[in-house]
Amino acid sequence: MATTNERDPDGWQARLASRFARMGAVVQDTENDAVAAGVVGAVSLAGAFAGFLVTSPYTSVCIVGFLLSVGYGWVRHQELAAKGVTMAMTVSTVVILSLITVFIFYEAWPILQDRSGQVLGVTVPGLELFTTTAWTPAEGTPRYSMLPMIQGTVLVTIIATAVAGPLGVAAALFISEIAPAPVREVVKPGVEILAGIPSIVYGFIGFTVLSPWASDQFDLVGQGTYLFVGIVVGLMALPTVVSVAEDAINSVPESMKSGSLALGTTDWQAMTTITLPTAFSGVSAAVLLGVGRAIGETMAATVMLRNTPRVAEPLYNVFYGFETLTSLIAANYGSSSGLQKDALFVAGCILFVSVLTLSIGSQLIEERMDHDLGRAE
Amino acid sequence: MSETEPVTNGTERPAETTAGETDERTREAWREYEFAGETKLAVEDLDVYYGDDHALKRVSMDIPEESVTALVGPSGCGKSTFLRCLNRMNDRIGTARIDGSVELDGQEVYQDGVDLVELRKQVGMVFQAPNPFPKSIRDNITYGPRQHGDIDTGLLARLTGRDDSEAADRLVERALRQAALWDEVEDRLDDNAMGLSGGQQQRLCLARCLAVDPEVILMDEPASALDPIATAKIEDLVEELAEEYTVVVVTHNMQQAARISDQTAVFLTGGELVEYDDTGKIFEDPESQRVEDYVSGKFG
Amino acid sequence: MAGAAESTVVREDTSTYEAVAGLTVGLAAILFFLGLAATVDIVSVTGTLAGLGTLTALGLLLVVMGLAVVAFGLASYRGIFPTDPRASAGLVAATLFSGLWFLVGALVGSETLGLGFGGGLAVGLLVGAVGFAATALPREDIGSTLPAGALAVLFGLVFLLGVVGPEWSWSPASFPDSQSVTFFARTIAPFAVILSALVVGWAAAKAYGGFGARGRHLGAYLLVYLNAIAIIAVLVALVAFVVVKGFAPVTESVTVGLGVGPATTIALFGFSYEVVWPVNWPFLMNGASLFTDVTGVFPAIVGTAWLVVGAVLLAVPLGVGAAIFLTEYAEQGRFTRVVEVATNALWSTPSIVFGLFGAAFLVPRFTPQPQKSLLAGMITLGFMLLPLVVITSREAMIAVPDEYRDASAALGVSKWQTIRSVVVPAAMPGVVTGVILGVGRIAGETAPLLLTMGGGSFVGAGQRAKVLDSFQLSLSPPFVTNPELTQATTALPYQLYQVVLTGTGETAGVTDITAFGWGTALVLLAVVLLFYAVGIATRQYFRSKLTYE
Repeated sequence: MATTNERDPDGWQARLASRFARMGAVVQDTENDAVAAGVVGAVSLAGAFAGFLVTSPYTSVCIVGFLLSVGYGWVRHQELAAKGVTMAMTVSTVVILSLITVFIFYEAWPILQDRSGQVLGVTVPGLELFTTTAWTPAEGTPRYSMLPMIQGTVLVTIIATAVAGPLGVAAALFISEIAPAPVREVVKPGVEILAGIPSIVYGFIGFTVLSPWASDQFDLVGQGTYLFVGIVVGLMALPTVVSVAEDAINSVPESMKSGSLALGTTDWQAMTTITLPTAFSGVSAAVLLGVGRAIGETMAATVMLRNTPRVAEPLYNVFYGFETLTSLIAANYGSSSGLQKDALFVAGCILFVSVLTLSIGSQLIEERMDHDLGRAE
Repeated sequence: MSETEPVTNGTERPAETTAGETDERTREAWREYEFAGETKLAVEDLDVYYGDDHALKRVSMDIPEESVTALVGPSGCGKSTFLRCLNRMNDRIGTARIDGSVELDGQEVYQDGVDLVELRKQVGMVFQAPNPFPKSIRDNITYGPRQHGDIDTGLLARLTGRDDSEAADRLVERALRQAALWDEVEDRLDDNAMGLSGGQQQRLCLARCLAVDPEVILMDEPASALDPIATAKIEDLVEELAEEYTVVVVTHNMQQAARISDQTAVFLTGGELVEYDDTGKIFEDPESQRVEDYVSGKFG
Repeated sequence: MAGAAESTVVREDTSTYEAVAGLTVGLAAILFFLGLAATVDIVSVTGTLAGLGTLTALGLLLVVMGLAVVAFGLASYRGIFPTDPRASAGLVAATLFSGLWFLVGALVGSETLGLGFGGGLAVGLLVGAVGFAATALPREDIGSTLPAGALAVLFGLVFLLGVVGPEWSWSPASFPDSQSVTFFARTIAPFAVILSALVVGWAAAKAYGGFGARGRHLGAYLLVYLNAIAIIAVLVALVAFVVVKGFAPVTESVTVGLGVGPATTIALFGFSYEVVWPVNWPFLMNGASLFTDVTGVFPAIVGTAWLVVGAVLLAVPLGVGAAIFLTEYAEQGRFTRVVEVATNALWSTPSIVFGLFGAAFLVPRFTPQPQKSLLAGMITLGFMLLPLVVITSREAMIAVPDEYRDASAALGVSKWQTIRSVVVPAAMPGVVTGVILGVGRIAGETAPLLLTMGGGSFVGAGQRAKVLDSFQLSLSPPFVTNPELTQATTALPYQLYQVVLTGTGETAGVTDITAFGWGTALVLLAVVLLFYAVGIATRQYFRSKLTYE
């Protein structure tokens, strides 16, 4: 109702006018008390939101007002009230989701402004966070470089993807194409349960078992390696890759596989030459989502890493693990304030933007797959 | 279960028991009948079960080479199941159990050590709904030979001078001409096959099957998803192909069977082969009353 | 195509050959498990194996296996066995082998020959190129056995000749002292054995299938099956490990019998009634205290329970309502598409980002002084759950066939009535399943709690969140307050994090902090997996009952 997809050649003024006219017509057609209840509900909901933002004690009054108007509408005009309430819910969902975006950027802004740098005479906010390599918030001239954490996140993500990508796709093939039915009945929920194990449990196992073992095996100074964090995070991203890739592989029509087999190919040939290429978009979307999970994984990294931000040398040294973007936030938020706290929000923004990009990218790819297969029927 | 013939349903069951005796007689009659050509496929006492369902009951028939054999019958009678036994596509269904014997050129198809790849190369199949691969027309045709290693146009082959592109081009043209599709797609061989019309797609699937050089071609209601014009083209093709290949075609369209086939097998309820004879005989003077009722449209 | 197979559909009898090749695959499997056993020190690299030094024995096996595989290739090439090889082993195999050989060459070049980084790279590229050519150029039977066998033979000889002995170690010079790494034979040797076993096993499986399409099929299936088994093994091992480690601490001094447990007072309308539990389970029923024998996680369980309740109360009505509007009322166009993309994106947004949002947006708003609180934790987790509820509800509602709606509309039933009596009930199974699985996930979520809710490393039983008892009415706005909701508290995952963070629990009466941690992990795992098991079982149940096809 609120939006239309139609392309009106008359320009936006005309569209707006017609929309108002339609709204006016709707108001005209509706009974007065329903309109009043709707207005009261909308106003009090907006009031509640505003009150909450300024921490007013009267927020609860507005909430009660909203509930009363909804209750009245429900009793007298259920049809309209339902539509109104579900619309209000949609709007709140959208508002909440946009608030998240707005707030983490808003909180990150002070340090971006403070640590801006000049490139070719243009002021770039936050440039200094990416041109130095030191994270020293406690020193006289505190430095907040994001680079050590970016290195950590990149290394962990690469290792995790190397684990979760190939193994996940192979497992998805196994579940959807190879496994006999009774085996599938066991493996599929098994993989889902793997997704359910909380990250802090993985982290605890890593912290008490893997980290000491790794230090012993490689004679490391202290505990904590990107390598094993990467492997653990890969294991955690595995179920995401498996289930999304399996959906994609499953959606390849059986008739195409039969067509290949009837020409005398083996099952494996049918999989690699028909099923996987056809499901390619879906499978790559699955891997992208897995990468997103790996980037955002927090607790296993926080618990297993050293939490002293510095650059591992040489840059590919995966045997020493210091800090990732996520563990930086988790480990330092409680004890930080001022610019340091804002720097944590910068880390949050980097995470948010990269995962957002991956997610939208994978959705676009999946859409293309639907399109390729002519999923209109 | 997307395209397997659903097992017989309960309502069709009773007929099988009441008409048992006449069937026994007619079965003897058509078994003595000798067809013109050499026997290509010999089926002996074939039983198929899906779990507890007895989908095909003691079917025996000899299919002569270089001719068109039509399998007709109401839906659920097991004719598609029978067809899929001939190239062992029923192996794909985990619950299917198959007893009996199918011989291709005197070699038992259901025995240990059978090379399914080799079998399906010799016994090709065209499905009910066109199922081209989402690749170019050219790649669809060369798919089989490439998978069998007969043609290699890959990067590595090109680098090492083993490129078979010319042979591939010849193959594409030959197969498309055989399937009467060459003139329509000659100048867009690299377009995606999904962009063709339904009838073209089905002929492409036929061409894809011919490219592997089969000896037998199985067709599972190949025209049921097509319009009348496309259907006519497929029917013409089937008759032409019979000069070189052994064609077995499933159809539920009586007129189609009468038009294109040399001999017709009638499957009726419960997975039984009731009568098998020259097409003319089946349609004009069948031995069995039930077949006469069926072909004249009294039931089914 | 082999000429003999042209006219027959039956393969020649090759049982002897297959038996030998099958035996090689089996040996590779044994080698694989020996390597695994050596990794976890069940087989000691410095000890002995079957009378020989472990490394010598493994080296011998590797050489034998490598030679066997090469022999298969040669025998097939000379036509001794009836095989069906292709012209080349293919690009994929060639790329993988060239990668393996590149690594071998680079390491030998830079370290053994001492040529440094550049020299190592050059040697690596050269060896890699040779590996590529050896795989890609010859016929398939040679191309897929020779590079594989050679790798195993190389590793085997290195162990046999004592180039890498039991006491061997190597520290790359390019690593700074503060970040130095040493590779010991006990770490590297098992890894090399596992790698060779995989490669040789794959080649032997190909030989077993007579190369060609069938050989590739078998080789690939071997690896895919191994992968599936490994994943399941890891899952079982993880869960079993936590159970084994956590069982003793969790079940410490459990007693069953009438009147042994703690007393719960139920107070309603002025009457109060005391229930005494027939079970005393200290780990689940105690809080942290110096005066009890067993310190437990009761406050954390209460915290997790309240978190789940709060998050579900917030997210489910909001999410389902939004899904109804988006699916039934809104025109399917750009707006619904954008909302869909945004909710999907938010579902994959890292939980720590939600934590940051909660800390910035919610924490300062409930009390005069910014303070972490149960309410902030509930709402943050609710926001995390929200996108999932919207996604799964929408999916479930879209899956309800339009015929249902049309049938209802054709009877003159209004739109809302149709939604209420047809669409929502039909979509319910999907929604319920999605919510249960989502709850399982947020129940184990830790990161947002660090920023929004968590307080106290070890919390006494008396300080648990007593939400129900604490509602207070007043005459000044906001009229209803609940101090328990606006206070920091603990939860199971947060408790586990505190175990790692503090490293000691002496002040809270915890004698063995690691055992306490395993106990907490087990309880958390049990809670979360319970949600998952129920969720999956529900889905299975509804699936078997209801299909729209």
